Amino acid sequence: MKKALVAALGVAALVAIALVGGRAAAAPAAKTDTAITGTGSSFVFPLVSKWIPEVAKAYGINLTYSPTGSGAGIAGVTARTVDFGASDAPLSADQLAACKGCVVIPWALSATSIPYNVPGLSGRLRLDGPTLASIYLGKITSWNAPAIKKLNPRLDLPSLKITPVFRSDSSGTTYNFTEYLSSVSGEFKSKVGNNTSVNFPTGVGARGSSGVAGVVSKTEGALTYVDVAYSLTNHFTFAAVKNRAGGYALPGLRGIKQAVSKLPKKVTALSQLKIVDPPKGAGKQAYPISTFTYVIAPTNTKSAGDVRKLVYWAVTQGQKFGPPLFFEPLPVTVQAFAYREIKKIQGV
Amino acid sequence: MSTVDDTAAHGAGLAAAGLERRGLRLGDTLFRGVAVAAAAASTFLLGWIAFKVLDLAWPSIEHFGLSFVWTEAWDPVTEQFGALTFVYGTALTSLIALVIAVPVSIGIALFLTEIAPRRLAAPIATLVELLAAIPSVVLGLWGILVFGPWVAQHLEPFLQDHFGFLPIFSGSPSQAGILPAALVLTIMIVPITSAICRELFLRVPRDLTDGALALGSTRWEAIRGVTLTYAAPGIAAAVLLGLGRAFGEAIAVTQVIGGGNSINVSWFATGDTLASRIASQYQGATSQLQAGSILYLAAILMAISLVTNVAAQLIVRRFEKARRAA
Repeated sequence: MKKALVAALGVAALVAIALVGGRAAAAPAAKTDTAITGTGSSFVFPLVSKWIPEVAKAYGINLTYSPTGSGAGIAGVTARTVDFGASDAPLSADQLAACKGCVVIPWALSATSIPYNVPGLSGRLRLDGPTLASIYLGKITSWNAPAIKKLNPRLDLPSLKITPVFRSDSSGTTYNFTEYLSSVSGEFKSKVGNNTSVNFPTGVGARGSSGVAGVVSKTEGALTYVDVAYSLTNHFTFAAVKNRAGGYALPGLRGIKQAVSKLPKKVTALSQLKIVDPPKGAGKQAYPISTFTYVIAPTNTKSAGDVRKLVYWAVTQGQKFGPPLFFEPLPVTVQAFAYREIKKIQGV
Repeated sequence: MSTVDDTAAHGAGLAAAGLERRGLRLGDTLFRGVAVAAAAASTFLLGWIAFKVLDLAWPSIEHFGLSFVWTEAWDPVTEQFGALTFVYGTALTSLIALVIAVPVSIGIALFLTEIAPRRLAAPIATLVELLAAIPSVVLGLWGILVFGPWVAQHLEPFLQDHFGFLPIFSGSPSQAGILPAALVLTIMIVPITSAICRELFLRVPRDLTDGALALGSTRWEAIRGVTLTYAAPGIAAAVLLGLGRAFGEAIAVTQVIGGGNSINVSWFATGDTLASRIASQYQGATSQLQAGSILYLAAILMAISLVTNVAAQLIVRRFEKARRAA
C-alpha cells in the first residue's frame, strides 16, 4: 500500500517536472496545481464548463464550479465557503455590505428568452414589453386577447387561458426580466418592481430553470422566462420581442450585440451596465431583455491571486468560447471596466 | 481494557475482587458521564439553535413585531413581509394530507396484519416502506412532470364537475397549487404512518382478538372493538409524527405548490408553506430585512412543531389513562 503510494507520487512528480520542463525548473511542483471553487448562476454554467479545461491548461488552475443559482452564489461567497460566486443580478447594497470587500465584475453577456407553450401556432409569437407586463400583472388572461392579436395578425391564436410561470426561488433571470418589465411599464414598476424575487400578482411559481421549464412543457397556454442557452438546449419555442426601434428581435448573438451597442464610451460604474430596453439607435435587431452576468470576487482572501488570474483570463481569452453557447463576447468598454475592477483583487 | 487485564495478571498483591469492583465502578462512571453528556449536548444544541434562529430573525422581529404572524404580505421589493400566507398553507396542506393519509395508512396496516396471506404481506410491507426511501426532490420532480399535470387534467376537473359548488374547488385547475402539494405530502406520510400502525397492530395480544371472536363478534367488530381501541394511543402518536413530517417538508412542496404570495379559498390556487418559502428564498435574500423575515418564518415553524409535539405527548397520555380506566 505504502510502496504503491510512494511509486505513484514519484511518477506524478516526474510528470510534473517533465511538464514544467526548462521553463520553471526551480518552481516546486505543487505550485502548478491550485484549486479554485466557485458557485452560483446556472445561467453562466455552460460557459464556465468550457473554461475549466482551458484555465487548467493556461495556469494550472483546477476550477470547480457548481450551478446552484445566483442567490446561492452570493450566499456562498459571502460566507467564504467558495473562492468566488457568480450572479446574474448585481448585488444589492445590503448584499454588497454583507460580502465585506467583494468586487462585482461583469464576465459574460447573454439574454433572457420568453418560451411559450401554445399548440398549433403556424409561426413564431411576437410580443412587446407592455403586453408582457400586462400578462404578468394579470390584465391579459387569454391568448386571443386583442393586444396579442394586434401584434400577431397572421397567427390563429386560440381562446386559451394564459398561465404566466415565474421563478419562486431567488433568481438573476427574474431580476433581468423584471428589470425589463419595470422599464417598459410604469404600472409594473409601481405594483411589482425589480428584484431577484418579486411578488407577481398572478401566475404559477416553480423552482429553478428546470422547474419553470417543467411546468411550461406540461401546461398548454403557459409562458415563462429562462436564459436563452437553456431554451435552446431544451428546444423551446420562444417569442420575438419588440424593441424601441420597432423591430421584433430574437435573443441571438446579433440581437445581444446590438443591445449593447449604445453603452457609454467609458464605463465607470455597474449601474451603467443596464442594457434592457436599449434606445432606438441600438438597431432594429437589438434584443430588449439582454443582461450581463457577474462574478463576485473577495479582494482579501488567500486565493485572491488565482481568482484574479481566472477572472482576467475569463474576460479576455475566455470570451471566445461564448458564441456557440449564445454568449456574446464583452464589448471593449466593458472589458476596460472589468480590468479596473480586477486590479482591486489584491489578496493578502 | 488490556491494561486492566495486564495489571490483574501481574499484580499478585492486589485482591482480584477489589479490582473487579473498581473496574465496574469505572465503567459505571464512564457510562454515566457519556449518557449525561449526550443528554446535555442535545438539550444545549436545541437551545442554541433556537437562540440562533431568534437572533438572526431579530431585524424582522424588531421591525414587524408579533403582527408579522397574522399579516398576509410578501414583497421583497417594498420590503413588506408577513407569515399568514405560509402559516395557512402549512396548516391546510398538512391537514388535507393527514385526512387522506390516516385512513389509508390504517387500511394498509390492517390489510397487512389481518387480511393478507403472510407470503404477500412481507413484500407489500417492504414496498410501502420503500416509498419513504424516495428522496423528496425526486418526488417533487415527479410531481412537476407527471403527477401535477394528471391532477390538473383529470382530478381537479372531476372535483369541479361533482363538487364545484364548494368554493374550495372553484377557479381553474392548475398543476401547481395547494391540492397537488397536499397529495404529494400524503404520499410522503403514508409509508411512515402505515409502518407504525402495522407494528402497533402486530403487538395487539392475540388472546384479546381471539376472545372477541370467541364471543361471537365478526372480524370487523373485533378489529374495531379490540385492535383499533388497543392501538389508539399509538395511532395518535403516528398521526402526529406524520404531521411533523408534513410541516417540515420543504423541497417537494416547493416544487409543486406554485410559490403563491396570497391566500386563496380555492385549493386549485397556488400557495406556499413555511418550510417551502424558507428553502426557496433564504439563499437569495436581497435585504437584511428579507433574510430576517425568513428566519422569523423558521422560528414560527419551530414553535408550531414544538406545540404539535407536546400535544402529541398529552394525547398519548390521555389515551393511556382512558384505556387503563376502561
